[in-house]
Amino acid sequence: MSEVQRRKYSQEERSVVFDGEFMPHIDSMYNFAFRLTFDEDDAKDLVQDTYMKAFRFINSFEQGTNAKAWLFRILKNSFINDYRKKSKKPATVDYQEVETFYNSDDVDYQSTSDLRAESVKDMLGDEISNALNGLAVDFRTVIILADLEGFTYEEMAKILDIPIGTVRSRLHRARNLLKETLKGYAQSMGYGRDEEED
Amino acid sequence: MENTDASSPERKLQCSDVGKCFQLLERILDGELVEGGNELLQEKLDQCQPCFAHFHLEQAIREVLKTKCTKQPLPEKLAESIRQMIQDAR
Repeated sequence: MSEVQRRKYSQEERSVVFDGEFMPHIDSMYNFAFRLTFDEDDAKDLVQDTYMKAFRFINSFEQGTNAKAWLFRILKNSFINDYRKKSKKPATVDYQEVETFYNSDDVDYQSTSDLRAESVKDMLGDEISNALNGLAVDFRTVIILADLEGFTYEEMAKILDIPIGTVRSRLHRARNLLKETLKGYAQSMGYGRDEEED
Repeated sequence: MENTDASSPERKLQCSDVGKCFQLLERILDGELVEGGNELLQEKLDQCQPCFAHFHLEQAIREVLKTKCTKQPLPEKLAESIRQMIQDAR
């Protein structure tokens, strides 16, 4: 049994790692889980499952390394394996369709160039949250990891098991889609391209 | 009184390589481009109106995302029930 050769945490060390390195991330974990599932109970279950797995596999976590990224990776894998199928709100946009449409950068910039920083700053309600929730799950995930949680591209690549180049392009596309939705909101708030007097 | 989105006569109104420039600006905002990033950013912001506008738009979106989308309240007993489950599993 090669497992025996590996240094394992003692009971006490386990508690120290679990309480000191894992539990402090529970707010971020729940926020991530909720934005993936859109359901409080599912999010709760997902976070609980993640922490149970983290405890069970605690010996594969090296103390002092990035616990938050390690936990997010477990949560994301649990979501894909156990929850995605039964998710109450299926993705509203077909990934393939989106990828094809957004293959051209020119399309991106023409369509979002009239969205201004000021109109985004004036969005005081749930516009941004709704826009984020409306993205297909793969796009939503990269925005959450990068902009809400501040992970680096390298950390995101590890969490998502994809190359850094894919992280970069997916994030870029996700942001363009988000801007596209925000532009629609901005227009309905009266920030249209042409200023009209009534 | 300078408006952050004000157009400046020194800035060109067309960006010759909008795709590359915008992706570069986004990487700088993400903290991924360190070497020479600050100088490059300053140059773009000073000289190119589309880059200037795009940078401030991206910055605004990141700020709003951070303030509006990170505060999902944690269910009251979640942390407690996780600790209990771990206790039971020992």
